[in-house]
Amino acid sequence: MMGNGMILSIAAVFLAGLASPLAFRLLRGSLGKYLAMVPLGAFLYYASLVPSVGGGGAVRASLPWAESLGISLSFHVDGLSLLFLLIISLVGTFVVIYAAEYLRGSNGLGRFFLCLMGFMGSMLGVVSADNLILLFIFWELTGITSFLLIGYDHEDAASRRAALQALLVTGAGGLAMLAGFILLGVAAGTSEISALNALPAGTLAASPAFSWIFALILLGAFTKSAQFPFHFWLPNAMAAPAPVSAFLHSATMVKAGVFLLARLHPCLSAHELWVGIVAPVGAATLVTGVFLGLRETDLKKILAYTTLAVLGTLTMLLGLGTALAIKAFLVYLLAHALYKAALFLSAGSVDHETGTREIAELSGLRRAMPWTAAGAMVAALSMAGIPLLLGFVSKEYFYKALLAADGPPLVWETIGVITSMLVFALAAIAGIRPFLGPAKATPRPVHEAPWTMWVGPLVLGALAIKFGVFPGWVGEHLIAPAARAVVPDAPFDERLKLWHGWNSALALSILTVAGGALAYRLAPAWRLSSQGLYRALAAAGPEAAYDRILDAVLGFAKWQTKTLQNGKLRNYILTVGGFAAALLISQIVRVPFALDLSRMSPPSLPGTAVCGLIAAAAIFACFAKSRFTAILTLGVVGLGVAILFFLFSAPDLAMTQILVETLTVVLFVLAFHKLPLLREFSSAAIKARDAALAAVFGCVMAALVMIAFHFEKTAGPISDYMSANSLPLANGRNVVNVILVDFRALDTLGEITVLAVAALGVFAMLRLKAPKP
Amino acid sequence: MKTIILNTTNRLIMGILLVFSVFLLLRGHNLPGGGFSGGLVAASAFALHALACGVPSARRMLFFDPRTLIGVGLAVALVSGAPALLDHLPYLTGLWDKTPLPVVGKVGTPLVFDTGVYLVVLGVVLLLVFSLAAEEDSWS
Repeated sequence: MMGNGMILSIAAVFLAGLASPLAFRLLRGSLGKYLAMVPLGAFLYYASLVPSVGGGGAVRASLPWAESLGISLSFHVDGLSLLFLLIISLVGTFVVIYAAEYLRGSNGLGRFFLCLMGFMGSMLGVVSADNLILLFIFWELTGITSFLLIGYDHEDAASRRAALQALLVTGAGGLAMLAGFILLGVAAGTSEISALNALPAGTLAASPAFSWIFALILLGAFTKSAQFPFHFWLPNAMAAPAPVSAFLHSATMVKAGVFLLARLHPCLSAHELWVGIVAPVGAATLVTGVFLGLRETDLKKILAYTTLAVLGTLTMLLGLGTALAIKAFLVYLLAHALYKAALFLSAGSVDHETGTREIAELSGLRRAMPWTAAGAMVAALSMAGIPLLLGFVSKEYFYKALLAADGPPLVWETIGVITSMLVFALAAIAGIRPFLGPAKATPRPVHEAPWTMWVGPLVLGALAIKFGVFPGWVGEHLIAPAARAVVPDAPFDERLKLWHGWNSALALSILTVAGGALAYRLAPAWRLSSQGLYRALAAAGPEAAYDRILDAVLGFAKWQTKTLQNGKLRNYILTVGGFAAALLISQIVRVPFALDLSRMSPPSLPGTAVCGLIAAAAIFACFAKSRFTAILTLGVVGLGVAILFFLFSAPDLAMTQILVETLTVVLFVLAFHKLPLLREFSSAAIKARDAALAAVFGCVMAALVMIAFHFEKTAGPISDYMSANSLPLANGRNVVNVILVDFRALDTLGEITVLAVAALGVFAMLRLKAPKP
Repeated sequence: MKTIILNTTNRLIMGILLVFSVFLLLRGHNLPGGGFSGGLVAASAFALHALACGVPSARRMLFFDPRTLIGVGLAVALVSGAPALLDHLPYLTGLWDKTPLPVVGKVGTPLVFDTGVYLVVLGVVLLLVFSLAAEEDSWS
């Protein structure tokens, strides 16, 4: 089925984003409501695809782009993509409505929506792109928009630091992933993901580069999805406004990594280390998430760490890779997107209305904020895995997958149950407790948030109930098609059920609730007694390593800037000239050539005289005692060169040379009286070194010209081609000009751009004087 | 540096230089000249005026800020390559109207491109000259 609607929907989101800075000036506060129509429309369109995609079809759309590189704008929507598209557009709709209210009064709202919609469009692109390179571009766009959104409050140093950290960690992983993609494309002979996944099993595993491909792509996925040891950027990203945290850092962007793993599961899971690496990394992230989460007292931080735990869970399930585990993965993913977005939005509302996010200061909010409380508590119950909510169904399948997994007995189950208990406790701390109990005084007098801020959590919570009580429809139309896309060959039970009978998974669930309640009781005491332990871990943790690496890189940058760009023009010339000479010499000695002096034109009297004049003037300039003399003698050199151009019939060059000399004089006159007197900077030894380098450089250039003669003999001079074709191809008889504006017009475009940039640089430097007293 | 000789000379040759610069631009495709040298000649004319009558007067005569000229010039050069795309030719392929116009001669996108070069060069040189000269302006 062709789906140009797919391309249209993504383009519409991008265009809406581009239009929002302007639209904000016209619409101000009501912009959010209009803007939300765009993701809502996209959601409805994706929902209309459910019947055909759910039936096993796929929506494809493709536009030609860089065909010679094998890159096209191709999109392929199967069950997995569609599940993500629906989540992104639905959560996106509520986030847009919410953000307009949350950031009311902020003047940067237009910019905010530009980034947010840009992010949404890129995310939709990531999950629907069929071309690896296209996917990478969207992937990086999500990283850049995420950077801008985390740093939205850019006057705050912590925001800037968090934004940079997220950008560097995910960006570095993204570059590794690009290398992996290119290797993958070369090894497989195609960059289309649908074609890659359709390759017969073992085709790629036979490639010698497969281990590299595997490692590089994993690096990209792990950094994006904040897997251990790259997890530290995610909690710091909570510096972003609440709607951003809800959208990017829980429901969508951080899932890009696990999405990629699921997307490439058919072709990458053939690697022998898939289970050995992916599942343990996921388990480590899961444990890290809940363990660090117990320390926190800030609502958003607690939620961020549970997001980390869920990302670990998802990665672990993908790593196990059985059909059952994939099914559990998908249900867990959907359940998490619904409850976590709701919880983050509610946490933002609480912060917005009370002025605090500290759990100790929040209590009994259900009376003042009934709607927010309803949405948040339902979401928290789903997160805790209470029956009749989707979170319960997902936990059941999680346990079933762990029970059925290979590997040492009880290891997966133990990790799963203990971490689930702690997630239960964290859900109660962050999503239930602030709303129950007696009301407390808060920094701001509490009242209910506007409807735009609670409608999202409420609808998402309602969906968690609906899908939790009647999981059948979701299982048939969303989960099963997605699972078929991830594990195309494995047979599995397509039904999704609420009740599985009295089995060991249910027993584990009951155990989880009991243990979770206990953990909730013990959590405050643990927090008090363990601060020293957490501090010690932080000092040795990966974030400390990140800081050390960053410091080292910045130190190196400072050192090399000081060394190479020390602000002394004479040193620059030395570096540039020396380097160019060394480079040319290293090539000249490698090229076999015979000097053929017979082709040189015979020396003429005027030519020789002018050359002598130029040489004399240059030498004189070196020994000039005043700047004025030096400039005059250099002028002689310039005009001498112009005369040479005339003699060798290049009037264009001669004219330009004379004009440049003239203007140099003008500029010199203007700057003359501000320059200090000539002084001796260099010792005799340094002068000798400079003279030697100058001589070498001159000889190298002369040698280069003579070698060019040699090659003209074999290939014929390029100027012949230019002269012959300038009139017929370009309608011009002046070859120099034709080259400039037609044959090599792109070069000229680059050159005038450089010229413009240089002029702006000079302008800025002249304006940057110290202010006059 | 306000001398009557320079002032008078300037008044006489400024117009000639400007006309000459356009002449160079237009004939550049077939004979020595072009946007680069044309731009330099025009820039010299304004620089001369700045020396003779001061930067403010030269700025008034130029009318546009040099930075605007740079921007417009770059945009003109950039856009001049676009019509080729409509014909499914590579970007910046020269397209010509084969019937020569009076005075101007044959017109094509390379001429538009060269006009962009002319404006950029004019803007760049004058940005430098005006910035340097403005600092020492005692008569402004």
